[in-house]
Amino acid sequence: MIQAQSLTKHYGSKTAVDSVDFTVQPGKVTGFLGPNGAGKSTTMRMIVGLDRPSAGSVIVNGKPYHEHKAPLREVGVLLDAKAVHTGRSAYNHLRAMAATHNIPTSRVHEVINLTGLEPVARKRVGGFSLGMGQRLGIAAALLGDPATLILDEPVNGLDPEGVQWVRKLTKQLAAEGRTVLLSSHLMSEMALTADHIIVLGRGRVIADASVSDIIASAAQNTVRVRTPHTAALAALLAQADVTITNVEQDVLEISGLTVNEIGDRAAAAQISLHELSAVSASLEDAYMKLTQNEVEYRTGDSSSHTETEAAR
Amino acid sequence: MSTVTPTQPSTSRASFVPTGSGLSFTGLLRSETIKLWSLRSTYWTYSLVIVAALGFGVLMSFALSATAGLDPATGGPMPMESAQIFVIASTSGLALGQLIVAVLGVLSISGEYSSGMIKSTLTAVPNRLPALWAKVIVLFVFTFLIGLVSVVGAFLAAVPRLGVENITASLFDVDVLLPLLGNVLFLALIAVFAVGIGTIVRSSAGGIATVLGILLLLPTVVALFSMLVEWVNDIVPFLFTVAGSEMVYPNTMESWQAFLVVIAWVAVSLGTAALLLKRRDA
Repeated sequence: MIQAQSLTKHYGSKTAVDSVDFTVQPGKVTGFLGPNGAGKSTTMRMIVGLDRPSAGSVIVNGKPYHEHKAPLREVGVLLDAKAVHTGRSAYNHLRAMAATHNIPTSRVHEVINLTGLEPVARKRVGGFSLGMGQRLGIAAALLGDPATLILDEPVNGLDPEGVQWVRKLTKQLAAEGRTVLLSSHLMSEMALTADHIIVLGRGRVIADASVSDIIASAAQNTVRVRTPHTAALAALLAQADVTITNVEQDVLEISGLTVNEIGDRAAAAQISLHELSAVSASLEDAYMKLTQNEVEYRTGDSSSHTETEAAR
Repeated sequence: MSTVTPTQPSTSRASFVPTGSGLSFTGLLRSETIKLWSLRSTYWTYSLVIVAALGFGVLMSFALSATAGLDPATGGPMPMESAQIFVIASTSGLALGQLIVAVLGVLSISGEYSSGMIKSTLTAVPNRLPALWAKVIVLFVFTFLIGLVSVVGAFLAAVPRLGVENITASLFDVDVLLPLLGNVLFLALIAVFAVGIGTIVRSSAGGIATVLGILLLLPTVVALFSMLVEWVNDIVPFLFTVAGSEMVYPNTMESWQAFLVVIAWVAVSLGTAALLLKRRDA
């Protein structure tokens, strides 16, 4: 369990994390989302004591991280793949890390097998691909068989098989009653992996809810209708809580009404429909809507930046 | 890993309780030993220290035996003790070794900063200082041992040529052994001093420049100023390298006083390093 209270970090005059409060529960995979510079990595660094909070506090499994007698058994952390000396082999890196906590060499071999590093374990890390570096980072995080895992962009650089492996692994670790906090820019991946989402924007928590609640609250389900009589249909359906967007010449996107309601009313008015389908909102849509304001506020130019976000 | 995986993880499920051994200082010493000996640069640098000592041992045995019979002033027998000749032959190469272990000391920590390894180190040891002390102890012990191998090797390498001139001495003669140990001690303390500088500067280039500046440049600069300003002469014995040499060859102060000066340099370097390591964001 990770509990942050009024957690704040200033770098000079810049506020990276602005008095955030959140709790990451055990037994669930919690996704940590937010645009670049939203404060995700800084928050993760403060959890494990690499950065000192300017104000507020964060505790892991009941205590500040540095007060634990066996830190690597409490928290396994992957901050970025480049937390390894490039001149050392993967095996020796893990052995050196394990030695600090008297973790047996058998466990080193276990995490090497688990992460599929055997073929390169004796090679120097400097020659590793991004994916191999990422696997080594995950191996190091798992070394102490920790109660809490903090993984910053764990699937970054992994092949599809590796992405799927991380998804299964994090779900399994959470199912064992561990706390799992992971960040990712791959929204579709996050939707498949996470049970709960915390969204940061400009150093503040802008959403903290289950994946389904986030989608429901931030993005409305819409209905897509193709008809040659768009104007007539729009006039027919127009009412206070319904929004109608003419997305193509003969296509409307309608929110506030169900597929059934639209179909029945169109039939009653004898308006022919060529397509009628529900478009369910994705986590990505919800995320975009949530963070759009944050990005807008910061840059003062919404259109170009929402496009950049969408392009990612 | 043995628990059954339910399809829907529930929040009511008991939290995972970590088990197993914790952080220990002996573990940290082992970790730092693995770190030191799992880098190729360690083998290179320590080999160079030994090779330089042996090479200079042989060279100096020839040079000293050529002049040993004569006193340059009187043309008569030279007043130098044979013990002193052996000490010079055994330790000449350490002057180079000092620069090499200084670089090694800086790299042992600056390499962690430049590669990002420091993040792994400090998440394993969130109180930070034990990691620094373990690194310092491991580097001190191994540098001392390598220094010992170097001077004993150089002593043995000098024996054949000096023996021809009937210059002999026992390694266990106090006049031989103590100066050798003093030189080796200073060598190991230079490595430790350099760890402190590397921690303060957090960059390989900056750290090496600083340490070599203190070892090589500072004595020259102070000597230059002492020609202009007379009182500057009084600080010369307090220079790191001068005090290190006076530990073995007391001149302006006693050996133990020189030793305290050396320790003060090391203490300031490590003290500042500890303070900054504890305080700064990694």
